[in-house]
Amino acid sequence: MKKTIFASVLTVSALAFAGCGSEDASNTAGEDGNFEPSKTIEVVAPAGSGGGWDTTAREVARVFGETEIIDENMTVINREGGGGAIGWAYVHAKEGDAHSMFVASPPLMFVPLNGQSEHGHEDFTPLANMIADYGAFAVREDSEFEDLNDLFDQMKDDPESITVIGTSAPGSMDHMQFVRIAKAAGVDPTKIKYVSDQEGGALTAVLNGSVDVFSTGVGETIEQVRAGNIKVLGVTAEERMEGEVLSEFPTAIEQGIDESFVNWRGFFGPPGMDEAAVDYYEAKFQELSESEEFAEVREKYGWNEMYMDSEEYSEFLEGEKEEIAALLEEIGLGQ
Amino acid sequence: MDAFQGLLTGFQVALSLEGIMFVLIGVIVGTLIGMMPGLGPISAIAIMIPITYGMDPAPALVMMAGVYYGAVFGGSTSSILLNAPGISGTVATAFDGYPMAQQGKAGKALAIAAISSFIGGTVSVVLLMLLAPALSSVAISFGPPAYFALMFMGLTAISSLSEGSTIKAMIAAVAGFMVVTIGIDPQTGTQRFTFGNVNLFDGFDFLIIALGLFAVAEVCMLILNRKNRSLSDDQKLGSLKLSKADLKEMSGPVSRQSFVGFLLGVLPGAGATIASFISYIFEKRIAKNPEEFGKGSIKGLAAPESSNNAATSGAFVPLLSLGIPGSGTTAVMLGAFLVLGVQPGPLLMTDRPEIFWGIIASMYLGNVFLLILNLPLIPYLAKILSIPRPLLISLVIMFSLIGVYSISFNVFDLYMLLVFGALGFAMRIFSFPAPPFILAFILGGMMEQAFRQSMTISNGSLSIFVDTPLPLSLLLVALISLLVPAFLKWRSNRLAYKQR
Repeated sequence: MKKTIFASVLTVSALAFAGCGSEDASNTAGEDGNFEPSKTIEVVAPAGSGGGWDTTAREVARVFGETEIIDENMTVINREGGGGAIGWAYVHAKEGDAHSMFVASPPLMFVPLNGQSEHGHEDFTPLANMIADYGAFAVREDSEFEDLNDLFDQMKDDPESITVIGTSAPGSMDHMQFVRIAKAAGVDPTKIKYVSDQEGGALTAVLNGSVDVFSTGVGETIEQVRAGNIKVLGVTAEERMEGEVLSEFPTAIEQGIDESFVNWRGFFGPPGMDEAAVDYYEAKFQELSESEEFAEVREKYGWNEMYMDSEEYSEFLEGEKEEIAALLEEIGLGQ
Repeated sequence: MDAFQGLLTGFQVALSLEGIMFVLIGVIVGTLIGMMPGLGPISAIAIMIPITYGMDPAPALVMMAGVYYGAVFGGSTSSILLNAPGISGTVATAFDGYPMAQQGKAGKALAIAAISSFIGGTVSVVLLMLLAPALSSVAISFGPPAYFALMFMGLTAISSLSEGSTIKAMIAAVAGFMVVTIGIDPQTGTQRFTFGNVNLFDGFDFLIIALGLFAVAEVCMLILNRKNRSLSDDQKLGSLKLSKADLKEMSGPVSRQSFVGFLLGVLPGAGATIASFISYIFEKRIAKNPEEFGKGSIKGLAAPESSNNAATSGAFVPLLSLGIPGSGTTAVMLGAFLVLGVQPGPLLMTDRPEIFWGIIASMYLGNVFLLILNLPLIPYLAKILSIPRPLLISLVIMFSLIGVYSISFNVFDLYMLLVFGALGFAMRIFSFPAPPFILAFILGGMMEQAFRQSMTISNGSLSIFVDTPLPLSLLLVALISLLVPAFLKWRSNRLAYKQR
């Protein structure tokens, strides 16, 4: 009997404690409407270690800590699978949690549009965009094509003769960035031959001549260009990029093709995140984006600065989504 | 800078006090991680990425490389002792290593594995040093048609991986093919057999299948036959000493498969797992007594063990000289390079010779350390077999669960481990062999993708497989290996008929 009483006292006090804890977390907005994190912030990378999402999340968490822009600890956890869908579902379940966020980029749009995730960007709370990266279209150094127009002219004459390879699945980033630019140049987007190689053989297939064009991120091309193995016909940036090799890459716009594609990367919170928390994070991300320490990080990985606050970010994403959805519809991949 | 001068620079890095220390830490961590069933080098390297922030890149990368080949070295231990593959590259090690341990020759099996690993590792480092720049052209010579032909060649071995019924082997292989199609199809982005379940979108990780079909199924069998109190029939660990005859027997496979493994390692996408299987099949095909394979053959143990370690160094060729990661582990390594501010690729050798050659030189050292560390440990490791059965069974189950959970921290994977454990158990009971299932699973996915990539490139014409010499010759080898045994059988039948 005594034992039971003791146990129930324990349970009650444990419950009371748990209650306090959650109250603490949700009430930190305080009376004056300001939010301060009160415990460790969890940053989810919806992919494995070593990739773009993971690196961005870890560098951001590290610089936040080192510069003390955010005092609370930030820990990065990996929730891998389904091209991000598993990580998104994980964050989606934390509705209203102001101590949780994840890193995202265009796949957050492509994957749901391809019907492979229940959750898309509109199901989350955009906090801030941080960086921009761009796509590049590369061919072998000894290729007959000298610029994008050479390539696209050939594709207009004989679409079967050109194969494009990328790392992502059809309907995802590497494929759609190419389709978008090619369509603007007048190529029939339904006739583009795209193969996907997710085992690391994409660059190999370009180098040995199995396929013609490699659609990828600019960062992936720099070393190969420096070594004289491939040449970049065009990049998807709006303007010339800065940097040693990067500044030599012509944009599609320069070549008279009025289209661009940005591989944006930013942070999102769970659905229903408190207004005060969003204000807090967007201010902190802006501070981070403007810091010297983060400028060094951008330089190290060849990323471009592209800060957007929560509202700007939502508008930008809406516009992107419409355009991509229409394009997917046109090539028969829309859901 | 020529290779010799480069290597001198490399040894200056590797033989500095710091270098020696980090190689040692790397190989010790690697061996330990490799020994745990299911825990592989990917997670170990991933954990190290944040730890090495701000470190000098050369020692940091030397350490991570040590973790990688150390894990492949150590992965054989649990394959041999428990039939629970330490890492995916050591699944084939269990085929003959585990029967040997059951026959009371655990000590010998571990010694053979260690020596084969050492030789495979060292031979391939020499090849890596001499040929890395030249081999980068081999690494890129394989396009989709050649990959298809290579995988097809590997698959012709299904019949030789089976004991007894060929039909049962084929059924197992078809089941393996079916399982590998589950998930999002990379060529169309369509979901196949996922039933809309997001956990199935990426398909199954190889380790779930390997641990289910081998470790969990084995545990079920052990529970069923609980007469023996410990795992080994013969409780003795057996002598560690290898006789001259043993050494002679393993010399052939080890010397051949060190080269085969290295070359397969160089090809992006092939890697240690495929290399170990192909080497096993290769040796069984040319052996005078193939019927001994699968029952504790020294050759059958030495071949995959030398091959998987050789493939590990081979995988550094595309990574270091092209910046192409050929496997999951090297992809994480590539991430680690970038975090440390080093760009692997064609210019690494000239831009950062101390890193390029430092890693290569450290591998010599690392392999020596591994041998010195592992040989004296064998008697202690082999004592695992005398752990009382109930305890051992619980440990194997626990480690398998931890290993699977650590792949992507997804509870769903644990249920799948149990499903494949049940499947493996049923296959044992009804004597369906597991190796063809595993082989079809490993090769089938890549084979299908390569086939369909080829078809897109050629606009649907099959001639793409015979137009160029590389895929053509691989397909011819496959054809010969299918026809020759059939012809021999037909001839011996005819002779027997005539004599009657």
